[in-house]
Amino acid sequence: MANKKPLIELKNISKSYDDELVVNDVNLTIYENEFLTLLGPSGCGKTTILRMIAGFIKPEQGEVIINGKIFNDLPPYARPIHTVFQKYALFPHLNVIDNVAFGLNNRSWEYLENFFGKEKIEKEAKELGDISKKNILRKAIKNLIYKDSEQALKLVKLEGFKKRKVDQLSGGQQQRVALARALVNKPQILLLDEPLAALDLKLRQNMQYELKEMQRNLGITFLFVTHDQEEAMTMSDRIVVMKEGVIQQLGSPKSIYNEPLNRYVANFIGETNILKGTYVKKDVVNFLGVDFKCMGYNFNDNEEVDVVIRPEDFDVVDIEKAKLVGEVVFSLFKGVHNEYEVLVKNEKLLVHTYESYEVGQPIGLTIDPYEIHMMKVEKSE
Amino acid sequence: MNKEFKVLAKPYMVWLSILVFVPILAMVLISISNLDSSVSVGELVISLNHFKLLLESSTLIAFRNSLIFATATTFLSFVFGYFIAYEIKLSKFKNKFILLTIIILPMWSNLILRTESLANIMSENNILKSILGFNLFGNISGTWMAVLFGLVFTYMPFMILSVYTALEKIDFALEEAALDLGLPPIKKFWKVVFPLSLKGVVTGSIMVFLPTLAGFAIPKILSRGQIVFIGTIIENKFVYTNYNHGALLAVVILFFILGSILLLTKFDKEGETLL
Repeated sequence: MANKKPLIELKNISKSYDDELVVNDVNLTIYENEFLTLLGPSGCGKTTILRMIAGFIKPEQGEVIINGKIFNDLPPYARPIHTVFQKYALFPHLNVIDNVAFGLNNRSWEYLENFFGKEKIEKEAKELGDISKKNILRKAIKNLIYKDSEQALKLVKLEGFKKRKVDQLSGGQQQRVALARALVNKPQILLLDEPLAALDLKLRQNMQYELKEMQRNLGITFLFVTHDQEEAMTMSDRIVVMKEGVIQQLGSPKSIYNEPLNRYVANFIGETNILKGTYVKKDVVNFLGVDFKCMGYNFNDNEEVDVVIRPEDFDVVDIEKAKLVGEVVFSLFKGVHNEYEVLVKNEKLLVHTYESYEVGQPIGLTIDPYEIHMMKVEKSE
Repeated sequence: MNKEFKVLAKPYMVWLSILVFVPILAMVLISISNLDSSVSVGELVISLNHFKLLLESSTLIAFRNSLIFATATTFLSFVFGYFIAYEIKLSKFKNKFILLTIIILPMWSNLILRTESLANIMSENNILKSILGFNLFGNISGTWMAVLFGLVFTYMPFMILSVYTALEKIDFALEEAALDLGLPPIKKFWKVVFPLSLKGVVTGSIMVFLPTLAGFAIPKILSRGQIVFIGTIIENKFVYTNYNHGALLAVVILFFILGSILLLTKFDKEGETLL
């Protein structure tokens, strides 16, 4: 990532509504061609950041820098950025193809000449007649706009829906039109504000893959906002986890999942067990009254730590070989795996395993050293 | 539940048929009969003799006046009313309802009273002149300007309210989407806001156009009888008991009304901008 060109830089931006700080001194760099997700519960400031980049709201402090230029005061229509809105915001008075062509249809002559390139326009105009005439050129541009729009519809797999009215489309189809409407303008940055929130599960999963693929093929930077951690995991190159206007952690899905920096991130990203422990000495941690081997962490000897163990990281073994022995108090069949609650020394652990146990049975657990993750204890909580 | 509502609706249905459908039917029948004060019930026949009335120059002039004034009133109400409605929509004022109430307020006083007082302050000596020391309207009572002003003053609130309703219904996200797609605010207005508010404009126009076309009180009072509207003629015909003449002209107006309602249903299927 280090050799990539920064596209958007947010420097110390803050924004408050009615004296409540919703974005608090955020610094963030977004690179070319990446899929970055802002993840957090509603009200954490993620949408506010998105809207500041789009230009709908101005930061009270700090700078929004795009392509090295300060964009703070630039209105939304002058930014090389397009947004896919949460509720799609398709124009009800236009049909599908006119919705997609809307942006280009309303651009100035100079903009379009630049957008398509003189050569392409003249080539198109030659087929229509005398290229020195302005109305022929205008017609050529119109043709190009609609060709591009059809291309965009094809990209989102809606070729046959050109003439439909937007209110005759399903939620998923409207979503695709909204996507095509933004993509046809070839933005450098596409902002997506919880675009999948209104879709049903199956459709949402399909769209996740398609979005990821589109982003990879088109080479556009996607900035995605969601409160759904699974969605964020599936699609992102990097994830920004936010809470109350502050970035909690920034990293690849893998690192955020495996090495959460604090309890908040650990809890927010998937199901997890967080246990109080003590870092006894190098590569030894004690929790639930047992010493475990661990690796890759440096704390002071005998420092209190929070130990994070993902439910699937427990190994279920025979009682004799087990480091922890507990009793299954709750079981749930989840299809691929079984989910158990295991009571070990008055502490309930969440365990995922393929083995099947009955409620009340004893169960033996071990944990591999590299599956044990630790975080500094937060004073405030 | 449904059944009870049906029962509750009955009185209104009776009311509707006795006081609306029966009179309309009667009016249509009278318009093709020879009924006037000189005809007794026994002599009543179907007659189209009085249809030549439609081509009399006084009728045509009255029709022309009505149409011109109705069109002008509608146009002016649209231009000013749209502007006002848009301003109200944009205003940051917390309670927009109060703004709307202020606009409706004059409508709560009696139309004739309101028009008479308007005529008063448009004439040479009036209370405003004694307060202000000069004549605010000049001395326009009796002229076409007075009539037009009175009509716009009276009917513009209908336009404002229906345009405002339509404007408020436009999802703000659509305006943001337009900005996002590169449209500067003025273009955004013409390409998104205005087309989406057209329903309200059509509803408002009809609500201004129809009463202006058929009305007679405002032109009669403000023009001091100088400008004759078709409504004035209809009133006169009934006053002088030429029932079939009056009914015939009223039926013509009825066609205008039905045509407008057809137009309205075409534009606004759900009737969402109607008050």
